[in-house]
This record gives sequence, C-alpha cells and structure tokens, in this order.
Amino acid sequence: MNHQQDSARDELRARFTKWLETLVYRAKLNYLYKNREKVETVPIDEVAEECLCCPGFEEGCIRDLSGKDEIWFEEEKLGKAFTELSLARQRILLMLFVEEKKPCEIAAELNCSVQHVYNQRSLALKKMRLALGKGGESFG
Amino acid sequence: MDEREFREVLKGAVAGIHEDLEELLRMYMPMINKYSMRNGQLDEDLRQYIMIHVALNISKFGM
Repeated sequence: MNHQQDSARDELRARFTKWLETLVYRAKLNYLYKNREKVETVPIDEVAEECLCCPGFEEGCIRDLSGKDEIWFEEEKLGKAFTELSLARQRILLMLFVEEKKPCEIAAELNCSVQHVYNQRSLALKKMRLALGKGGESFG
Repeated sequence: MDEREFREVLKGAVAGIHEDLEELLRMYMPMINKYSMRNGQLDEDLRQYIMIHVALNISKFGM
C-alpha cells in the first residue's frame, strides 16, 4: 500500500518535470522568435531597375535570342516571352535557372525575402506561360 | 525533499502561493539554466523570460 503511494508520488514528480521541461522549451522558442534578428529589407519593386541589372545585361540577354551568348533559348517565342518580363523578374529567373542559385541565396543577394523570390518566380512563369499560349512549355 | 513535501510545494505553487513557487523554481533552476543558454552563454533575459512564463502558467498544471 505504502509502496503504491510512493510510486504515485514519483509519477507526479516525473509528470511535472516533463510538463515543466516542455513549458520551458516552448518559452525559449517563443523568446527566440520574438527576439530574432531582423534584416532590413527593401521590396524589390522599390529598387531601381538599373540597380538590379548586371553589367552588360541588356546586350547579353536580349542578344541571347540569337543563340550565341550565355543564355540560349531553343524557341524564339520563349525568348520573346522572357524579354517581356520586367528586369527584376528576368534577373530572378536567370539566377534560379541559369545560375542555379537557391531561393535563399537570391533573397540574400537581392536583399528581399525568400517568399518574395518564390512569388516573383511564380508570377514570371505564369506570365511566360500566358505569353506562350495555353498548354505552352511547362518548366519550373 | 521527499515526495510528500514535493507534492505540498507543487500544490501550493499551482494554487499561487509565492513561497512555494519560489521553492519550485529554485529546485528546477538547473533545468531553467540549461534552457537559458544561448551561444554557450547564460542569457539572463531569457532566464527571466522563462521564469515569468513558468510563474504565469504553473496554475495550468493538472494535479
């Protein structure tokens, strides 16, 4: 009988210790979340397009349609759809698909959020698909 | 502290008795210190935050 009571009390201490540990762990996560370092970002739309251009960007990319430079589009239609995108979106697509950078790397380079990179990528691809017509090339 | 005393202290802390809560926090200080470490150093602010969090939530523990 006494042994049963002791084990019940042990169980209470163990249960409380586990409960407290979870509480403390969550409190720590909460604290770290509230005090996370915030990197000052500027929306990419507010950045002047010239700043986003790499040297020789226009001469390079637009002439790429000829198939002689770094980026070569198999279809002229695709190249045309690409050039219709804003320079910011062109740059994001180039970094993603040509330079094969990860969205987090691009976000760090452009000083914007990763979600913004995903959004721009998604919008750019959507626009290009529209330009290519329904059932056009699927990529990305 | 034996199990009976622990039970009493815990009951008191859950009921909102300050002395019991203080005793309980003192008892679990090693655990609190362990979770208050950031980059290998004790973060006093984090420790204080944790202790306040415990004090505010201890009443939710079901005896």
